[in-house]
Amino acid sequence: MASIDIANIQKSYGIHPVLHDVDLKIRDGEFVVLVGPSGCGKSTLLRMIAGLESVTAGEIRIAGKRVNELAPKDRDIAMVFQSYALYPHMSVARNMSYSLRLRKTAKDRITTIVAGAAAKLGLEPLMERRPRALSGGQRQRVAMGRAIVRQPKAFLFDEPLSNLDARLREQMRAEIKKLHRDLRATSIYVTHDQIEAMTLADRIVAMNGGVVQQVGSPLDLYDRPANLFVAGFIGSPGMNFFEGTCRAGERPMFHIAGDIAIPLDASPPLANDAKATLGIRPEHIVLAGHGPETLLATVDLVEPTGFGIILHLSLGRSGFKAFTNDRSFLTASGTIPVHFPAHSLHFFDSEGSRV
Amino acid sequence: MDYAVRQGRSAIRPPLMKRLADASAPYLYSAPALILIVTVMLVPLVLGVSYAFRDVQLLNPFSGGFIGLDHFRALARDEAFFRSLRNTLWWTGASVFLQFTFGLILALLLDKPFRGRALAQALVFLPWAVPSFLAGLNWAWLFNPVVGPLPHWLHALGLMSQPANILSDPGLAMWGPIVANIWWGIPFFAITLLAALQAIPRDLYEAASIDGAGAFQRFLSITLPFLAPTIAITILLRTVWISNFADLIIVMTGGGPADRTQIVASYIFTQAFKRLDFGYASAIALVLLALLLAYSLLIVILRQWLLSKD
Repeated sequence: MASIDIANIQKSYGIHPVLHDVDLKIRDGEFVVLVGPSGCGKSTLLRMIAGLESVTAGEIRIAGKRVNELAPKDRDIAMVFQSYALYPHMSVARNMSYSLRLRKTAKDRITTIVAGAAAKLGLEPLMERRPRALSGGQRQRVAMGRAIVRQPKAFLFDEPLSNLDARLREQMRAEIKKLHRDLRATSIYVTHDQIEAMTLADRIVAMNGGVVQQVGSPLDLYDRPANLFVAGFIGSPGMNFFEGTCRAGERPMFHIAGDIAIPLDASPPLANDAKATLGIRPEHIVLAGHGPETLLATVDLVEPTGFGIILHLSLGRSGFKAFTNDRSFLTASGTIPVHFPAHSLHFFDSEGSRV
Repeated sequence: MDYAVRQGRSAIRPPLMKRLADASAPYLYSAPALILIVTVMLVPLVLGVSYAFRDVQLLNPFSGGFIGLDHFRALARDEAFFRSLRNTLWWTGASVFLQFTFGLILALLLDKPFRGRALAQALVFLPWAVPSFLAGLNWAWLFNPVVGPLPHWLHALGLMSQPANILSDPGLAMWGPIVANIWWGIPFFAITLLAALQAIPRDLYEAASIDGAGAFQRFLSITLPFLAPTIAITILLRTVWISNFADLIIVMTGGGPADRTQIVASYIFTQAFKRLDFGYASAIALVLLALLLAYSLLIVILRQWLLSKD
């Protein structure tokens, strides 16, 4: 196990920069998830740590040692690929023991280690099979087994669950979490799925356009998103945004399109009349109330998910979503009262940064 | 109940002609194709095989009679035939081995991305497009000290005491057609192996390098196993092909000097078209056919054994 330090890493392909000054310190035993939309540079960053991509500028240190120039085989890391990348001509046992055989580990030690990993992952009945005779979930397990037999300094996961169906993904997610709890191995996990990020991570690194947007615990990112991108990316259904201006006064108000004013408890630290964005998560909207804080929203669409109901509502020309567990809203129509509790509001300035 | 059913069946039993027509319909439908295939493929084969047991000499109008195994008895005492058999082994082994080796190296080089790779791939294919007779003539001239540069270069490098034609040197003559054959056959291996190389998923190499494999270990544990089926089938094909391939030898040396470059295929050609003894040529061809069949069978068995082993 080891810490991984990433200092001012940059990557460009020709003249196209794909990573800008990424700075990240991963502690020993930490589970860090890199999350972001396709093409945000998260996989590139992971492959640079693995040594599969060269580093344009900056420094990567594993356990305090600079690895920029080291070949992947000398970095002592293990990686689980999205495609699993199992060796098709080797049995499960030989797939798992390949790295140990390359290191000339003693035969009986290999047998013990592989058997231990197989037991941990429930692979014992499959050890003599070839990868093509396995299901997707079993292949995934073998790929993980191949990674854990070596007890490397760190585990790298490159979207390991994307090729599985939803049910299996849920199951494997829990298994990865359990495995990390048992092994306490430094892990870096790349995904575009924010649920995987939220459930697995000790810390999430949200990335967009090759720039780190926010680093923090999952609940940090959920409760206090640093900017509009993180606010919109984390959470499902996503956060509602209203563009408008803030007006201070006896009762501060947030004016949005269509001459609608959302009453606020206190003035946010925004200049009067400055353009800003107000955000609120669908699950934080209160669908009741009366009095001056309450607004009347039009019901456009009702989406039952079984677990709850997603209501598509609109205030003037601005559409937004609300989430509720109250089944009485299944038949909602016309207008309903909505209330935006002050402690659930997020404000972002015209640059998109949280205020 | 049983009785009733039987009675019902016999009651609708169609007349004999109808049943005959029904039964023969599939054969009648496929007959035109089958007859064509049999006439085109089997008849010449059977005729050719029958020549081996007959005395067929073009210049002797009274020949053509059945002579049993006389040709094979003559063959068993024919020193020239056994020499050509040894030459065939030498010619085929050296050509296939070197074609394969250079073809594999070329394929591995072309698999790495570099500027102008598409052009290089197209150029590599070029020798394959040259007719074998032209290739033979071209190389014969290259080895000829009067018009070709090769003897002079070899002399300048100190490899030859004087710029002589290796095609007329009994000890070296076989190398002439072999070199021409290597030049001509490399593209076949390079292109087929390159196609197989490009079908190997790249992430396997990445996984292996993370697992701790160096370049040579990656080649051994990923490239070779992936190429193995292609290598087996191409080498099998090329071996049969090259051992039958007399064009270059006929053009470059005509089997000489003193039969030193005579392989079985060129010996057959010599017997048939120079001595005009078709019967004897057919007998030799039959022996070559049997040898190649045995070789192919051996490879098929070997392949089955390898497949069943793991």
